[in-house]
Amino acid sequence: MVSYTVSHQAYVKMILHSAKYPHKPVNGVLLGKQDGSGQVTIEDAVPLLHNWTSLSPMMEIGLDLAGNYAASKGQQLVGYYQASERVDEVSLAPVGEKICSKIRESFPDAIALVIDGKQVGSESAALMPFVLSSGTSWRPASSSSAPFTAGSSFALASDASPSRVLTLIRETRLHEKFGDFDDHLEDVSIDWLRNEASMDPSP
Amino acid sequence: MDLPSALQKLSTFRARNTRASQETFDKGLVVLKGNGLKKLGDESWSFLEQLALAAIDVGRLDIADRCLQLLTDKFPGSPRLDCLHGIRKEVTESPAAVLLYYGKLLQADPVNVALWKRKISVLRRIGRIDEAVAELIELLDTFYTDVEGWLELVDMYCSVHQYISSLQSLSHVLLLAPQNPFHVLRFAETAYTAGDIPLAMKSFLNVIDMADADEDAPAEQVPSGFTIRAWFGIKQCACRLQRERITSPSQTAVPEHVQLFDELATERLKTVYAGRDKSDKEATEVLEWLARV
Repeated sequence: MVSYTVSHQAYVKMILHSAKYPHKPVNGVLLGKQDGSGQVTIEDAVPLLHNWTSLSPMMEIGLDLAGNYAASKGQQLVGYYQASERVDEVSLAPVGEKICSKIRESFPDAIALVIDGKQVGSESAALMPFVLSSGTSWRPASSSSAPFTAGSSFALASDASPSRVLTLIRETRLHEKFGDFDDHLEDVSIDWLRNEASMDPSP
Repeated sequence: MDLPSALQKLSTFRARNTRASQETFDKGLVVLKGNGLKKLGDESWSFLEQLALAAIDVGRLDIADRCLQLLTDKFPGSPRLDCLHGIRKEVTESPAAVLLYYGKLLQADPVNVALWKRKISVLRRIGRIDEAVAELIELLDTFYTDVEGWLELVDMYCSVHQYISSLQSLSHVLLLAPQNPFHVLRFAETAYTAGDIPLAMKSFLNVIDMADADEDAPAEQVPSGFTIRAWFGIKQCACRLQRERITSPSQTAVPEHVQLFDELATERLKTVYAGRDKSDKEATEVLEWLARV
């Protein structure tokens, strides 16, 4: 059974991205590794777009650059994430399915995480995992226990991440320093692959 | 934060229609608490409308309601306020109730564009996209020159992957606002997504042309802003055109010297990134990417 762990850094980056553009859809890719027993560690997230998320040219370039960056760190693209501009929308957009299927070509256990706007303000993980069910259709991961609870195959590396990211947004406004590939294309000094300015060393 | 600078910033946001809700809200609160309403004079009403919208956006309904009350006292029965009240209702009331509210008002005043657009946006939000598209087309039939409306239609078609329809709507935007390079850029990216690479290539090149025509500076300068995005697009199109056999649904001709365009885009992007500081690791990564693809 494949299981997934989301690192603190990856979790923080996804939520910061959605907090920077609350009135727009945002998306990006997940970087990580898989060990011999099937355990996938999502170590980092690279934010891609917020402007025209269903158009492909900049997405293709961003994916390519993010893939190279992952390889340079000994990681690979293991999934995709998105947030909707609507707080109650948690379905995977068709463009997400397309990108996931592309990531799957090099990583068969690829996963999609959709940010659950209603949960962001809570103490629990605001993520909805999607996996390939059949052919090309992606469905919410089904298992006996809800994702990110004890016994499920999805876990956060640190349980403190959800509340920590809220502090970072509300008190230090870290999301304002965060940048994605779209931002970079307007101002090339914006560091979207690493986002060093908005790193949080520990939960 | 002092009052004059807050007022200055807020007036810029109003003029540009910027949706920077958190910043608008923070600065607006300074104005509201710092007795800024008197300083604003006649402008205070458009300020209150701006603050109400920002407050709704960041979830501070108490402040929104205070603004709405002040506005209602001054302009009872104003159609512009009807719209603002509607937006406030959208937060806490069911979509059905809000649609009923807009429906009643539209019956009395069928061509109130602001209300009509709210109704369309609610329809889109609750997933009734076919109805939203139909209503928006009807609106644009009446108000052809509404660029904002056309862009919304472009976006709706895009969200359901009807890229050809999206391109057609974008053509109207280009007719109505031919001087805006962002619309041309969007056209190029939509054409690319629709699989019409030659049309995308042509449009990306148009973006560069528009930027050159706009500048008094010598042509040999470092690309900046949206032209960087356009050069990336040209690079991507040139690569595809060299690698694959591509047809154009719009019968756009493939440029003769694709390889030269590829080299030019690479050179232009190199000047952008080679000028960056050595500590910029991302610049190195982009340069490596350019050398490889």
